[in-house]
Amino acid sequence: MQTSWLRHKGWTYGFRSTVLLYFVVLIVLPIAGVYVYSFSEGWGPFWENVSDPIAWKAVLLTLKLALVATVINVLIGTMIAWVLVRYRFPGRTVLNSLVDLPFALPTAVGGLMILLLLGPNSWVGGIAEKFGFDIVFHQPAIVIAMVFVTFPFVIRAIQPLLEEMDASAEEASYTLGASRATTFFRVILPQIAPGIAGGAMLAFSRALAEFGAVVLVAGNIPAKTLTASVFIYGEVESDNNLGAAAVSVLLLTLSLGILWLINRVQRRGGRN
Amino acid sequence: MRRNNIRPGGGQAESDGGERRSSAGTDRSEQGGARRRRDAEPSRVKRSPLKRLSALMAAAALTGSLLAGCAGRESAAESGGSGGGAEQQGDVKLVIGAYSVVKDSVQDIIPLFQQKWKEETGQTVTFEESYEASGTQARAIAGGFEADVTLLSLEGDIDKLTKAGLVNENWKDKPDGGMITRSVVAIGTREGNPLGIKNFADLAKPGVKVLYPNPKTSGGAQWDINAIYGAGLKESERRTGQKDPAFAKTFLESVHANIESLDKSGRASMAAFEYGVGDALVTYENELAARIKQGAKYEVVVPDDTILIENPAAVVDANVDKHGTREAAEAFLDFLWSAEAQRVFADNGFRPTDPEVYAEFESSYPVPPGLFDIQYLGGWSEVREKLYSKRGVWYEVLAGI
Repeated sequence: MQTSWLRHKGWTYGFRSTVLLYFVVLIVLPIAGVYVYSFSEGWGPFWENVSDPIAWKAVLLTLKLALVATVINVLIGTMIAWVLVRYRFPGRTVLNSLVDLPFALPTAVGGLMILLLLGPNSWVGGIAEKFGFDIVFHQPAIVIAMVFVTFPFVIRAIQPLLEEMDASAEEASYTLGASRATTFFRVILPQIAPGIAGGAMLAFSRALAEFGAVVLVAGNIPAKTLTASVFIYGEVESDNNLGAAAVSVLLLTLSLGILWLINRVQRRGGRN
Repeated sequence: MRRNNIRPGGGQAESDGGERRSSAGTDRSEQGGARRRRDAEPSRVKRSPLKRLSALMAAAALTGSLLAGCAGRESAAESGGSGGGAEQQGDVKLVIGAYSVVKDSVQDIIPLFQQKWKEETGQTVTFEESYEASGTQARAIAGGFEADVTLLSLEGDIDKLTKAGLVNENWKDKPDGGMITRSVVAIGTREGNPLGIKNFADLAKPGVKVLYPNPKTSGGAQWDINAIYGAGLKESERRTGQKDPAFAKTFLESVHANIESLDKSGRASMAAFEYGVGDALVTYENELAARIKQGAKYEVVVPDDTILIENPAAVVDANVDKHGTREAAEAFLDFLWSAEAQRVFADNGFRPTDPEVYAEFESSYPVPPGLFDIQYLGGWSEVREKLYSKRGVWYEVLAGI
């Protein structure tokens, strides 16, 4: 009874409001700031900045390339997660811990590695060049950079689902005479689908915003290899903060929509 | 080239630059005193544990500062030896905010100045240095980084500081209109110049892959675009007798059609080129010279028609008045025009503004016959308005309008 003050409701409220305050200061304020700033001079200048062909083409290109990167990550990431969970082989734990490394590495270093390994002086780049196919400073390099920095998302989203999967459903499927493919698509895939969707969307929104690696490996030519993040950087550097904010708002709104979708998808997955 | 007056380096300091550099180098010690600065950037100050140890440890400290030199941009506090001597009204600390390319030169000049100042006044000057891209540096100073002396790559960046009320309007009253170094825009090609590139028009030939930084992300790259645009104006003048902006724009577009990569900065362009991308890059002569000195392989082509680059320096009046360092700051600025300092600049690939020093280096830096300066394009304010404003020529070329 002496300790009843410890259970006082005030503590929970205090804790909740501290956490919420932290969230507001760290996340909500800066993002709201960008929105407020970009509309600070009204719709006219905002629209003028967003309708600039260089700007919207950069956003469009970024969407397109981020989508390609996400598709690659979904396919390869699912396979890697599968191998890491289902197979036992020497070095598995090492590989498993390597998956997260792209998060730990400064993305600019990732970009530099791409330049080194795929540039015209490397053998991969050399062969590609002979076939008239440019990697570095063209769109393939941007996709590779995006795949690199968003690599862990899909894998990490699927792994726990695969690990917790009930083996009996799979066994029942085989016992009933289903082929491996049927079992995968009818039994396994539905169970890991929420993970794939969640991971893919995180990867997609992260790819949209990628700067460090992309600025190094992209040619940054408008409508060809200029991504939105690099365009925003250029606007800041040339003292057009309003233009930078306007395009940021476009990207943020897209990302917000995507994250909201993730939540929807995952909640539905949870209900199943 | 015009020239107002020459300022010889004071008295005994007139010895050979190289020798002086090495002797001064030993008493360069890293003081952990760089208390700085903008919170937007993680502090890169290297604190040496050798802080107050005497000259015995100075050699070790030098090694430390060399290691610190590996960081692309850094700030390091450098001080003269703490040897004592008659100190007059205490020691002085000068904060330098400069653009990255002059880093090597400034670090060679500082010991020379420290020695000279010591001999003249008995005071020890310590330096804090920060090197950034010119535009970033100007914005940092305007935003509160309290530099006493600033060296920037173009006049427009000093104008940002006069606009912010930090540098007095009369900064151009110094020799050479406030310009401490010159250079020209040149073309760097692969060894032996396999494509036989001689001028900017050759860059527009089919199949030539060209690199230059985007003036939107690198203010210094405006010089590169000015050079190409101006070469177009020259060409139109030869053909029709008068400058034709429309022809110059088409000329710029034809070169831009061959662009392989619009890099973030001049350095980024060179990095890309050295990774094997592209056939030619447009950048400053001194940048190419600096890379060649470090062992990179370039062929430097100075086109007949190209622009004269002039790089300004100024005392940041508001800050020196606040710090009470005007005397030393002015002296350091003036020292940049001394024959010694000019020779250091020339060694690092710049064209000296001092005519006598230039004469010594003339064979390495021939004047291209069609050289023009920013006035040929109408001066900076007109260039900014016509080329780099929001819907200016450069925007139209970029957007393909």
